[in-house]
Amino acid sequence: MAMFDRLRGLFGQSTVDGSDDAGGAMMSCEEALRLVHEFLDGELEDSSADEVQQHFHMCQRCYPHLKLETAFREAVRRAASGQSAPLELRDRVTALLEEARMEG
Amino acid sequence: MSSENSWRTSSRDAGTSRSARGFEEEALPHLDAIYRFALRLSRSPDLAEDLVQDTFLRAYTSWDQYATGTAAKSWLFTICRNVFLRKRERTRRHDEIVEANVRHAGPGSSPVNPVWSSVMGVDPEGEFFDSLVDDRIVQAIEELPEEYRTAVVLSDIEGLPYTEIAHLMEVPVGTVKSRLFRGRRQLQKVLYDYALEQGYVPARIGTGG
Repeated sequence: MAMFDRLRGLFGQSTVDGSDDAGGAMMSCEEALRLVHEFLDGELEDSSADEVQQHFHMCQRCYPHLKLETAFREAVRRAASGQSAPLELRDRVTALLEEARMEG
Repeated sequence: MSSENSWRTSSRDAGTSRSARGFEEEALPHLDAIYRFALRLSRSPDLAEDLVQDTFLRAYTSWDQYATGTAAKSWLFTICRNVFLRKRERTRRHDEIVEANVRHAGPGSSPVNPVWSSVMGVDPEGEFFDSLVDDRIVQAIEELPEEYRTAVVLSDIEGLPYTEIAHLMEVPVGTVKSRLFRGRRQLQKVLYDYALEQGYVPARIGTGG
């Protein structure tokens, strides 16, 4: 029974808290989770982004999901964004363009 | 090809040939990004170098048709991908069939990510992602079907907006969202399974394997 109360605290309480702050119903968990990618991609309008942000800020159940998606993106970016073109390739491309300019 | 041409403006001065210097100034700063994209597409440094050279040569020859001030980087990505797809068409092999199967068995569209459920109680914030070595992540990206891979690379690594990715891939924005959704989910699943295998994340208690 204690476990159930604890879960209810984690899952449900935040919605009640959130609605007070917002002056209206807080975005549902389902809606916030549905929009999490667009939110992180910066594709939401300011008002929707604020609502999503507020939900994740208030909802203890959803917050870890946001953190996980953020950790995932950071890992992907870290792994794949550092590679530069080899210098020889840069030289070859420059030479190729030079050649094309002479011809045309 | 139509997507390459669609980066043109209608208001450009016909017949005005811009200088090669202008091309180099606008296009060459994107060489690293195009190389990375070419690497992810071709999965091979040698093929990627060829792809980059073909891309820049092709871009140079159609430079007159490119509208200054529009997204030069996206225009180059478009050309790069088109060159890649055309080459692939000529050398279609077994791996594409595998890709098709993977795509068929792709993740569902439930808002609840299975990885979220798997890490609940053991690593809910996904800290295991920090432990993964770069090579393993890159490998997982390269295992994605091309449509997912391109969308994920352009969004998560190169930071392009959905509209530009849609334009580049010649699909509606909704399709980009769905490819990103599925691509990311598949990627997370592969990385989670690997992390589990390596012990970067403990198995969930009571799941019975």
